[in-house]
Amino acid sequence: MNPDFHYYATYCAAQLTGYTHEESIAIARSDQFVDLCSITFLGKMDAPLSAATTQLQLELMEAPTDIIGLQNITRIWSSFHFLPYDLYAEPKKRCSKRYKNKFRLICKPNGALVRETVMLAKGKSMEAVGIAMHVLADTWAHQNFAGTPSLVINNTNYYFYELFEENGGWREKKIAFRHSASTPDDLENSLYTASIYVNSEKSIMNLGHGRAGHLPDYSFVRYKYLPAWGDYEEVVKDNPSDYMHAFCQMIEAMRYLRGDKEDFVCNRYDWQRIAPYEARIKGIICKRQLDSSADWKALGEELSGQEIPPFDISVFQSGYSAAKKEKDNTVLGRFIIAALAQKSMVTNRIYQSGNKLAGYSVDYRKRFFWVDKAYKMLINSRGGDAK
Amino acid sequence: MSFFQRFKSILSGILMLLFVVLLLLLPDKAYYLVAGVLGLLLTIYGLRLLWYYLTMARHMVGGKTILYQSVIVIDFGLLGSTLMSVSSAMVIFYLLGIYAFTGGISVLRAFEAKKYGGAWKLKLITGIIGLGLAVALVVLGFAFGLTQYLVYGFCLSIAYSAVVRIVSAFRPTAMVYIQ
Repeated sequence: MNPDFHYYATYCAAQLTGYTHEESIAIARSDQFVDLCSITFLGKMDAPLSAATTQLQLELMEAPTDIIGLQNITRIWSSFHFLPYDLYAEPKKRCSKRYKNKFRLICKPNGALVRETVMLAKGKSMEAVGIAMHVLADTWAHQNFAGTPSLVINNTNYYFYELFEENGGWREKKIAFRHSASTPDDLENSLYTASIYVNSEKSIMNLGHGRAGHLPDYSFVRYKYLPAWGDYEEVVKDNPSDYMHAFCQMIEAMRYLRGDKEDFVCNRYDWQRIAPYEARIKGIICKRQLDSSADWKALGEELSGQEIPPFDISVFQSGYSAAKKEKDNTVLGRFIIAALAQKSMVTNRIYQSGNKLAGYSVDYRKRFFWVDKAYKMLINSRGGDAK
Repeated sequence: MSFFQRFKSILSGILMLLFVVLLLLLPDKAYYLVAGVLGLLLTIYGLRLLWYYLTMARHMVGGKTILYQSVIVIDFGLLGSTLMSVSSAMVIFYLLGIYAFTGGISVLRAFEAKKYGGAWKLKLITGIIGLGLAVALVVLGFAFGLTQYLVYGFCLSIAYSAVVRIVSAFRPTAMVYIQ
């Protein structure tokens, strides 16, 4: 998903939930920042690098693909962008443990971990809510791909068709991929940028939806393709429907986080709250454009009656470096605490399932263990009860 | 990293360092040793591809290509070591190609890193050293006939990889879970 959904649409969802303008901005800002909080940024801020929620293209190019490097990549991408659906899933055919471990990291919506993600943000900061909304929304957009480099899971081939609704039926148009990262996608000719084919299981070119380009990130597009793990069964990806579900599930989740609901249950969507705006929202989602920020912004401003400022990364920078003892109470400090909690939880669940792809998880309560500055922040934020 | 993975990393590092010592102690046999190792590595790579097909890629759409690739690579590995042991020029060209290619890539990455505001100086220096090494080896090897320097350059790159493997085995890798 792109800033249009992670920032402006999240603001709209927060407004429909009942949050104030300031709270909605804080949630949307944190949601969008998940895509920007890299070790390059954290390094510049002298902040803990283990709180990184994404990796820049350049960082990925430099990232070692040895065991440690791969575990680091998997921790980041599985925790924040490709939340695994079922850590105990069984592939249709008998296969090796190595294959099974990768297969179990495939992202889909409404898994047990998405519920845990939302529960984790309960009673926490607005930044924690924003992170949870990012993770939840991405389970819809990024489904069928895994947050770990894997050729056998994330690869796609030439079989890729865009679907256009015409005269009550569907017209197919072959999608062509090119590999120039700096060239914008050509919607008119269905010409999209994707990562190149590399026949190495561990190549970062095979991370997430890189091989399918930005198609999962566009709300308007419908397409069909053959996922590498799908045993030659065609998958039809209906992004407008998925984005609509993501939007309504965000409202459902935020209502729980705000205390309007007692529990967050998967597969439930708040269609009622969006009913007066349904046609408008569908219109924005289905409009064929690379960036729908302006349309979402207009809707958000109509909902709140206030101007939505453009996303400003300096909000995360200001205050953090200057604060000496009170770093935890700055916007970035709160974001770091929430990000560490999410990464720590997802890594633990993957490890507990017997899968070492995200590395080892050591329970701080059960075993004396050295923790760095970053985790001390997280422990302190919980009143030191983790000790 | 599990205990076995750490052990494997350290052991492979030590074996690589021993190979470097062997190359330096037996300079007259160096080309045959290098040719043998390169052929062996290619064959092992082919066998690993075959294993990868059997355990992973056979479940993948279009996974048969991995099987074909593995057969071709094994073939090249077996044939290549024979060819290289006949002509030392093959080994020299291989080594020069490696240095020039990695050096060129580092320089390009340095320019890209500079464009994005990242750290670029070290990458540029590494790239220039790689390219410089390739040029120096061409001059020393072909113009002055001092081909043993090619072996020294090869030893240097293996020793570097060995040290990296050993050091990485001691890095902390666990993620702390705080409830």
